[in-house]
Amino acid sequence: MIRFDQVSKRYEGGHEALSQLTFEVAKGEMAFVTGHSGAGKSTLLKLLALIERPSHGHISLDGQNLAKIGRSGIPKLRRSLGMVFQDHRLLMDRTVFANVELPLVIGGIAPLERGRRVRAALEKVGLLDYERQLPASLSTGEQQRVGIARAIVAKPDVLIADEPTGNLDPQLAVEIMSLFAEFQQFGTTVLIASHDLPLIKRMKKRVVVLDHGRLVADVAAEEVL
Amino acid sequence: MSASADTQAPAPAPAARSERSHRRPFSSWREHHGWSAAASLRRLASKPVGSLLTIAVMGLALALPLAFYLLLSNVQSLGDALGRNQVINVFLKVDQVAGNAQLLAKQIGQHDGVANVVVKTPQQGLDELSKMQGFSDALHALDDNPLPFVLQVQPQDGISAEAASRLVDDLRGMQGVDMVQDSGTWRQRLDALLGVGNRAVLILAALFALAVLLVVGNTVRVDITSRAEEIGVLKLIGASRAFVRRPYLYAGIWYGLFSGVLAVVLALAIEFALVEPAARLSQVYEGKLHVAGLPPWLLVAVPAAAALLGWLGARLVSAWQLRKAA
Repeated sequence: MIRFDQVSKRYEGGHEALSQLTFEVAKGEMAFVTGHSGAGKSTLLKLLALIERPSHGHISLDGQNLAKIGRSGIPKLRRSLGMVFQDHRLLMDRTVFANVELPLVIGGIAPLERGRRVRAALEKVGLLDYERQLPASLSTGEQQRVGIARAIVAKPDVLIADEPTGNLDPQLAVEIMSLFAEFQQFGTTVLIASHDLPLIKRMKKRVVVLDHGRLVADVAAEEVL
Repeated sequence: MSASADTQAPAPAPAARSERSHRRPFSSWREHHGWSAAASLRRLASKPVGSLLTIAVMGLALALPLAFYLLLSNVQSLGDALGRNQVINVFLKVDQVAGNAQLLAKQIGQHDGVANVVVKTPQQGLDELSKMQGFSDALHALDDNPLPFVLQVQPQDGISAEAASRLVDDLRGMQGVDMVQDSGTWRQRLDALLGVGNRAVLILAALFALAVLLVVGNTVRVDITSRAEEIGVLKLIGASRAFVRRPYLYAGIWYGLFSGVLAVVLALAIEFALVEPAARLSQVYEGKLHVAGLPPWLLVAVPAAAALLGWLGARLVSAWQLRKAA
């Protein structure tokens, strides 16, 4: 379970990205965080991955208070998360296979098992035939799917995605979101930051709406129109 | 996009969690090191010209002290070869008669460092002098033979400079001895010069080792700077600092190891180049001169030490550079 309790984030210079934010995402739930640009969506995800620390309040993940995790504990926390980025963050000089394999290498998984899991993840996102290619030879949508394969290959408990469909055409965006929904059905907690309201409405999942860092609406899946 | 039985459960299945938590730390450690070693080798191979140039610079830097070492070893060897032919002339007091000279020769012959003693009578000495140009007339002007008995002492082969010096001191201290002419003084001077040379080699080796350290450090620094984005991605997906750093440490080891091997190859080439002229020189000295090559342990020690230096350089710089990038 993800829990934000009175979380605020104020940057140097005084800009408050998040203010008194309190909400929970249950284990195995899928939720969208939405709002205009600058609403605090990305900051929220950064706090969850300990890329940044909150100025006030507490964040917990599966009961673990993130404030108590020191620098040396951050890699372990991040290995328990699957992260998908708008700009994919792929290593362009490595093949698709090598990119997806990275979390397993970091996890110390043996080569044979790595190969099996990477191919399974690539098959899941429909890129099994592309494993030997470099990311630069793929389309933006395909690159994003490589990013998703990398995020799921280590079977994380929680999947977070920051604008994962930001650069994709509507049809591809729906396909990507359907993938996330599929992962949720098998027990993964999924939290997606997106400003694509039509797409969010179409997915019919819970929506947390931010405005200038404040929580202005928390709409349950069944209430999404 | 298709699904398979295996991928329908991206969330950790109980079995998967169990595998992760019970996986032996040594296996993970071994996997990490194997991957890092291979990845760093691939990186070196991916920019062959730059890697080869770096290795060449480091290899030359390491080869220079080895070349000096070889040179000094051979000068030492030459000194040893020449030193074996040197004779110590022991001039007895003029009042010493033939019996005393024979007795002294016998005593000296029992000394540890002495191979042979030849007694030269005053008449033999006079005959030798008279054969030399310019001495003949002067010798005819003398009423008596002023020359003393001379003992020509041949030190044993391979006698050290210290032992030779002790022998000369012992000879000087013997009763009936007037003067000892040690033609091995030059040898002592050579040994002193070789001592300076050996110290210079050590200093050079230390300086070039520092150069290797700096070259590796700078190469790794540039590599880390150019891979800032990759390092950022690795950290985002859960790589520890040690994991991020390890390929750079292996890169340092590879650079050091390959440059050490290159240095040894260059030194062996120098050794090989010395064989023919040394053989000619050896003929002049009745085959007593041999090329002093690199000792076998050094052939292993140089690449190993260079690998260690590379690792150290990479470790120092990567710690600082990655902390800066954090």
